[in-house]
Amino acid sequence: MLPYLLKRLLHTVYVIIGISVISFFFIHLSGDPVMLMLPGDASHQEIEDLRERLGFNDPIPVQYVRFAWNAVRGDFGESLYYHVPVMELIVERLPASIELAVAAMVLALVVAVPIGIVSAIKRGSLLDMGAMLGALFGLSMPHFWLGIMLMLLFSVQLGWLPTSGRGTWLHLIMPATALGMSLMAMFARLTRSVMLEVLSLDYIRTARAKGLKERMVIGKHALKNALIPLVTVAGMQFGFLIGGTVIIETVFAWPGLGRLVVQAIFNRDYPLVQAIVLVMAVIFVGMNLLVDLLYIYLDPQISYLEDK
Amino acid sequence: MKRSFLFPLFVILGCVLMVAPVPTSAMDADTLVVIQEAEPVGLDLMRSSIQTTMSPCYNLHDTLFHPQEDATVKPALAEKWEKVDDLTWKIHLRKDATFHNGETVNAQAVKFSFDRVFDEDIQSPHKGKLSAFTELTVIDDHTITIKTEAPYAPGLYMLGYYLPIVPPKYIAEKGDSEYNTHPVGSGPYKLKEWVRGEAVIMERFDDYYGPKPAYKTIIFKGIPEEASRIASLVTGEAHVISGVPVHQREKIKDSGKAYLTPQMGVMPYLGINTYEAPFDDVRVRRAVNHAINRELIGKALFNGEAIICAGPISPRTFGANPDLEPYPFDPAKAKALLKEAGHPDGIEARLAYPTYMSQIQEQAEVIAANLGEAGIKVTLEPYERAVMWERYKGKQHQMFIYWWDDAPEPDRYMYSLFHSESRDYYYKNPKVDELLDKGRTIMDREERAKVYHEIDRILYEDCPWAFMYVVPEVFGVANGVDYKGRRDGFLNMRYAKPKG
Repeated sequence: MLPYLLKRLLHTVYVIIGISVISFFFIHLSGDPVMLMLPGDASHQEIEDLRERLGFNDPIPVQYVRFAWNAVRGDFGESLYYHVPVMELIVERLPASIELAVAAMVLALVVAVPIGIVSAIKRGSLLDMGAMLGALFGLSMPHFWLGIMLMLLFSVQLGWLPTSGRGTWLHLIMPATALGMSLMAMFARLTRSVMLEVLSLDYIRTARAKGLKERMVIGKHALKNALIPLVTVAGMQFGFLIGGTVIIETVFAWPGLGRLVVQAIFNRDYPLVQAIVLVMAVIFVGMNLLVDLLYIYLDPQISYLEDK
Repeated sequence: MKRSFLFPLFVILGCVLMVAPVPTSAMDADTLVVIQEAEPVGLDLMRSSIQTTMSPCYNLHDTLFHPQEDATVKPALAEKWEKVDDLTWKIHLRKDATFHNGETVNAQAVKFSFDRVFDEDIQSPHKGKLSAFTELTVIDDHTITIKTEAPYAPGLYMLGYYLPIVPPKYIAEKGDSEYNTHPVGSGPYKLKEWVRGEAVIMERFDDYYGPKPAYKTIIFKGIPEEASRIASLVTGEAHVISGVPVHQREKIKDSGKAYLTPQMGVMPYLGINTYEAPFDDVRVRRAVNHAINRELIGKALFNGEAIICAGPISPRTFGANPDLEPYPFDPAKAKALLKEAGHPDGIEARLAYPTYMSQIQEQAEVIAANLGEAGIKVTLEPYERAVMWERYKGKQHQMFIYWWDDAPEPDRYMYSLFHSESRDYYYKNPKVDELLDKGRTIMDREERAKVYHEIDRILYEDCPWAFMYVVPEVFGVANGVDYKGRRDGFLNMRYAKPKG
């Protein structure tokens, strides 16, 4: 187990280096931040001076080595706009992103898994068709539209929930629902199809033949195996949710990483973009590793021991 | 199994919610919530020229003068002033002003602030706007003189906006970075807390030298989505909001819970590359001006609220030439002008525009259709902000739409846009350069207006732009609040009070 973990961690290092190189070169190809930082009537001298001060006149490989050297010592630089260390900004925003992602994920799983199971058991019934139609609706609805509709209904018309911002659990309801809706739909369809497959396998027939209660057959034998693909997808989606919630964060003014990175990209705030990309990459790779380790728990047949 | 799988997720959610911040503040009658399109990037007024950053800053910081809507100034930290000669002002500071930490606002603080704007480490974007000033000298504790290289008519107005007075001792002690997040100013409000990404909370500064503001607490928040901003105004979560596009204004009026108050206007213009054919011919540029149906665009896209411009100076700005009539919409005349310029079959051209500008897509499409009818076949080129700007500076546009705000002081935008030492990317006219230099130096208001009338006329005839319109912007304000928006567009809450 330990050698496997070490190997995976080493892979993570490769991935992070690869991502940092790619993102560094791409963002430097995208344009000159100095032009945006200075007002339109700034003289050529002012532009040159600032470029020199920020080190943008050096060749890009030199700039990368400087960035990498500072980064391994924990210094990711200062935001060109906020004038504070970029890690400070990220650490401030990360909890909000995690909070929203976890809430959306919990909501999606809590609703979707039972629906998927019931749909599989009652295959072809009205309930199944209704649930799958609902899932299709959930998948095809754009996030931002759903978000605004929820806001108009629950904030403007009914006055039950705050329109935007972060603070209490009431603030979390609408963004988590808007964000979790398509996940919910995806998980419901996935659970249903995997359950259908599992339910047709021999060991389920055996379990039933043994005279086990249907609840045990579904809940213990079928679901545990059906969970493996669900865990994979949920793990991957969680990585996306941390950084990919830009639209929902914008609609509900949620102070997360997604909004921060988009603003940073528009402003060509190189150090901030670079650091956020790296943090997201670490989270994503970390989630992948976690998912792989979860497999062992979910399915004892899977093992990462070298001697097996 | 199902329970054991979901249980950890609930635990995580519970932990996350426990570390979530508590609500920023209980709403009460003494609290005013202001929502802008974005949160500030810092709170040091010297370090940002972004509107949504400067607005909260003007509540915290004071300057020497209060700029007025007619481009004059009134006393602020400066009590009185006199002209020593054409190049020198002597300014007397008031003696009762202090910073929020108790430091005295004195001549040394003004000198420190002036020097700080030009400090390389600060990278102040206002450096260029104050570059006409060469020297600030401390005469005594409450008197200074400030010199310019040449006579500079908008000098006091520019100091009123771009020279916030900051506390030397506090900055020496805390450093510039900390000052950007925990500023100490001499304005009517002091910073209580800034939860980045969420809210800037300010409290009334009881020792403020000027009139005490009506509200005890001001909360600035940023909400990028316009529908969400409007929803928060209508539900009573916000009292003042900015960024209300024309097509959303009816919603606020119809709600019966808030009203609209005017602020600065956005003045879009269609710039033309006068250096290259076919637009190096003034007849082609005039054809563009005759081809655009400004009235129709104003009615269709801006509910008839757009103010049609004749020349480059906004009709609401000091110095606009009242004798100029907007180019009439006349496609036949445009075609005739093209023919006269040697293009009987019309021309083809590129029109670039920045995608982030409000209602820009609709405007660009109508303009392209208008130009097409007059024989100018247009290819639209939408660009993301930074790319648009880089191409603009790289002289790569042929025609382009950009905008400026219609500031009360003409030098604020005319010098920047038309003086060849500032931007000679697409147009240069030595006569205009000369007049713009002159316009800065004339102290007599009437004489000065004449110079700008002349600049307006020359550019009207030379058509480096297709002149468009000013779209008056508005703030949305809750019914219970009395706040009149100001032409500079900044949300200065010292002027807000409860109604009735």
